[in-house]
Amino acid sequence: MWRFLLIKSKVGLTPFGAACKPKLAMKWEGEKMERFDKLRYLMFILPLLATIVGLGCDNQYYDERLQMQVQQLDSDLKDRWSTSGVVVLDTTPNGPADKAQLERGELISYVIAEYPIRSTSDFNNAIKNGLDEDNNFVLYLKDKPPLRISLRRQGDKVGLSVKGNGTVRVEGIRPGTPAANADIQIDDVVEKIVDERKIYSLDDYKKTIRKLTKQSVTFRTTELIGVKIAAVSALGDLGDVRAIEPLVDIFRNNTELSLRKTSISSLQRLVELSVLNQLFQQFQRANVNQLPADSLQAQHLESAAILGLLTVDRTENTATLKAPFGTQFRHRSEALYQKINEGQLAELAQEYIQIGVEPEQEIRRACLAILGTLKPVSAIDALVAVLENPTEIPGIRFQAGIALRQIGEPAVEALIAAFESGDTSTKDIAASALGGIGGTQARDRLIKALENASESAIQLTLVDAIAQIGDAPSIQALERQRQQYQDDDDSGIRIFLDEVFKSLAQKSM
Amino acid sequence: MKKIWLAFALVLFSIGCGTQNENLAKGKELIKSDKRRKEERAVREFKLALQQPTDNAEAHYLLGLYNSQEFYEPHTTDWEAASIAERGKQMFLAYQAEKGKYLERLVFETLRDDDLDIQNAALDALKRVYKQGDQKRLLSQLQKAIKSSDNRDRHNAHWVLGNLGKDEPDTIVPILVKLLEHRRTETRLNVVKALGEVGSEKAIPALAAVIESGSAKWERDREEPEVRQLAVDALGKIGGTAVPELVKIVQNKGSSLRVDAIRALAVLGDEKVVEPLLDALKEQSSRDVAIPLN
Repeated sequence: MWRFLLIKSKVGLTPFGAACKPKLAMKWEGEKMERFDKLRYLMFILPLLATIVGLGCDNQYYDERLQMQVQQLDSDLKDRWSTSGVVVLDTTPNGPADKAQLERGELISYVIAEYPIRSTSDFNNAIKNGLDEDNNFVLYLKDKPPLRISLRRQGDKVGLSVKGNGTVRVEGIRPGTPAANADIQIDDVVEKIVDERKIYSLDDYKKTIRKLTKQSVTFRTTELIGVKIAAVSALGDLGDVRAIEPLVDIFRNNTELSLRKTSISSLQRLVELSVLNQLFQQFQRANVNQLPADSLQAQHLESAAILGLLTVDRTENTATLKAPFGTQFRHRSEALYQKINEGQLAELAQEYIQIGVEPEQEIRRACLAILGTLKPVSAIDALVAVLENPTEIPGIRFQAGIALRQIGEPAVEALIAAFESGDTSTKDIAASALGGIGGTQARDRLIKALENASESAIQLTLVDAIAQIGDAPSIQALERQRQQYQDDDDSGIRIFLDEVFKSLAQKSM
Repeated sequence: MKKIWLAFALVLFSIGCGTQNENLAKGKELIKSDKRRKEERAVREFKLALQQPTDNAEAHYLLGLYNSQEFYEPHTTDWEAASIAERGKQMFLAYQAEKGKYLERLVFETLRDDDLDIQNAALDALKRVYKQGDQKRLLSQLQKAIKSSDNRDRHNAHWVLGNLGKDEPDTIVPILVKLLEHRRTETRLNVVKALGEVGSEKAIPALAAVIESGSAKWERDREEPEVRQLAVDALGKIGGTAVPELVKIVQNKGSSLRVDAIRALAVLGDEKVVEPLLDALKEQSSRDVAIPLN
C-alpha cells in the first residue's frame, strides 16, 4: 500500500508535501497549453465521431436509390423462425420501390442478381460474382429446369467451360466436379446465371445492394406463416363476426396446408360459440355476468363450460361468465349467430366433407364436426354419401353417422334407406345412428330388421342400437330375441343379450 | 472475593433457568422427533409458550410455521386462528420482537418451504412488514433476494414483489424498473414477471423498451429473447392501455414477438384486436419483386 502511494506521488498525480507544489503548478499550466492545442483537433474529430456513432447506432436505413426505408429485424427472429433480412418500413410515393409495388411491412430475405450470358467473359464474371460469399448460384440452361450449383469449399472449381459469342454453349465438363454431377451436356446453351444472396442484417443489406444492383434489383420476400397461423387461431378464440369471411377466404384459397387447417378449426370454434347464442343472450338481456344455473338450459351450460366460457356452481346454483372472454363475448354473440345462421358455413362444410374435394382427413373431420353442431337438414344427403363411401376412412364414415345422429329426426328416413341398401359397415353405422336418434319410426324399423337378420355382426349392432332406445317395445323385442336363442349356449348374440339386460337392470336401479 | 463471584454466577444461572421457556423447548424437541402427530402436539406447546413471559419471538414464528387448519374441526376458534392470515400475523409478531433476524429468515428461509400455506403465510407477514414495519429494510432484502444467484430466492422475491406491487404500485414499480438493468439475465427475467403480476400500467413504457431492444444494432443493447418474450406476457397480464402496445408489436413486421403478442391479445379478448389481426392475414405471401432502376 505504501509503495503504491509512493509511486503515485513520484508520478505527481497526488501532490504530497509542500515542496512539490510550485513544480506541479508549472506542470499543470503546461498541460493546459497542450490541451488547448488538442482542442483544435477535437473540433474536427468530434463531429466526425458523432456522425459515425449516430449512423452506426441506427437500426433503420433510407435507401436513396430505391427510395425506401428499411429496418433491421429482431435478431432472434433468425433463431425462432429461421428468418433473416430487413423489413420495409416505408416507401416513398412514386419511387422505384413504390412503383414496383413493394409493400410496407414486407420482409426482404434475399437479393437476387441476374446475369444474362452473352459471352465467355459474361459467364466467367457471373460465376465469380455468384460464388462470392455463399458458394452457390443457379444456372439456367435453355430448355432445362434451373440447376443449383453449390461448392463445398470456397475456391473449389465448378468444372464448366463455355465458348461462343451471342449464344454461349458448354464446351467442357471436368469429371468429379459439381458440374459433372448435374444434368449438363456438352453444347447446352447457357442463358443466365442467377445468384440468390441471403440478407442477414442491415449492414449486409447495404453491402449487397451496393454490389449487386446495376440496372435492376430483385428481392425475394418471406411470409411469416407462424404469424398468420397465430392470428387465425386468435380470431377463432375472439368470437368476432368480422373474422368469418377472411377465414373462409384463407380456407378456400390459401395453398399453405397448416394455415388452412388452423382456419377450419377456428371456424369450427366460431360455430360452436354461435350455437350458444341463446344462453349468452340470457346474460346479455339481463345485462349481468351471473345467473342462477337452474334458469339456464343444462346442455348449453355444459358446452359453454367445456369451451371455458363460464363456470357452474351447482351448490350455489350460479353460472358465472369467465372474464375477460365470457363477459366480453355476450356482447358479440348475437352478431356471430346471425352471420353463421345465413348458412354459408354449412354449405362450405358440406362441400369439404367429400374426399374428392378435400384430401386432408383432418379438415374433413373438422367439417363433419361443424355439420354436427349446425345440424343443417340440407346436409343429410351429403353426410349419407360419406357414410356409404367405401373408399373413405372408417373413422370418418363413423363421424358422418354421428353428425346425422345430431341432426336427429329429419335424418331417420335417409338412415333407414342407407341401412337397407348398404354394406356391412354402412349398416353398422346407420343402425347405431338410428339407435341414437330413437323415436318410433327408427325403433320399429330396427326391430323389424333384427327379426329378419341372419348375420351375427348385424344382429349385435341392432341389439346394441335397440338397447340404446330402451323403451318398453324395445325391451320386449330384445326379450323375444333372448327366448329364441335360449338353448344356444355358444351363441354370441345370447351372451351379448345377457350383458345388455344386466346393464339395463343396473340402469333402472 | 471468591464468594462474590460464586454468588454472581449463581444469580446468572438462575436468570438463565428462568428465561428458558420450557414449552418452547418441548415443542422444538417434538418437531425434531419422529413421534406421531408431532406437529399438532408441538403447536400446543408453542401456544402455551406464548403465555410465558420469555422467548416469545421464536414461539410466535414457530406457531406461524406449524399451526395448520388440518388439526382442527372447521369453523372453530382454533381453526380460525390457524388461517393463513393469522399465521402470517404470528410470523409478523416474531418479526416485531426481533426485526433483523426474522426478516432475513422470512425472505430467505420461510418462503422456500414446499408447503403452499407456509409460503402464503410468509407473504402475509411480509405484507404486514411493508405496512407496519421497516419498509426500507424489507425492500432492500427483497432486492438482494431477486439479485441472488439462487433461483429459489429470485423466484420467491419476484412473487413477493409482484404481490406487494398490487397494492403499492407507486413504490414497487420504480424499484422493479430499475432492476431491469441488472446484469443477471435470470434476475431481469424475474423482474419482468413481477411487473406482469403487479399489473400496473406504469410499467408499460419500461416493458415496451425491453421488447423493442430486440432490433438494436449492437448486441449489448439487445435484451435476451426469453426476457423479451416474458415482457410480452407481462403486457398481456397488465391489459388495459397495454393493448395498443401489444397491437404495435403485432404490426411491427420485423418483430420476433408478433406471435407472442397475438397470443396475449387473444387471451385478453379485446374487440380492438380484431382489425390488426385481420390486417396480419392480408400480408403478402412470399414472392419475388423486381425493381427497375433508372
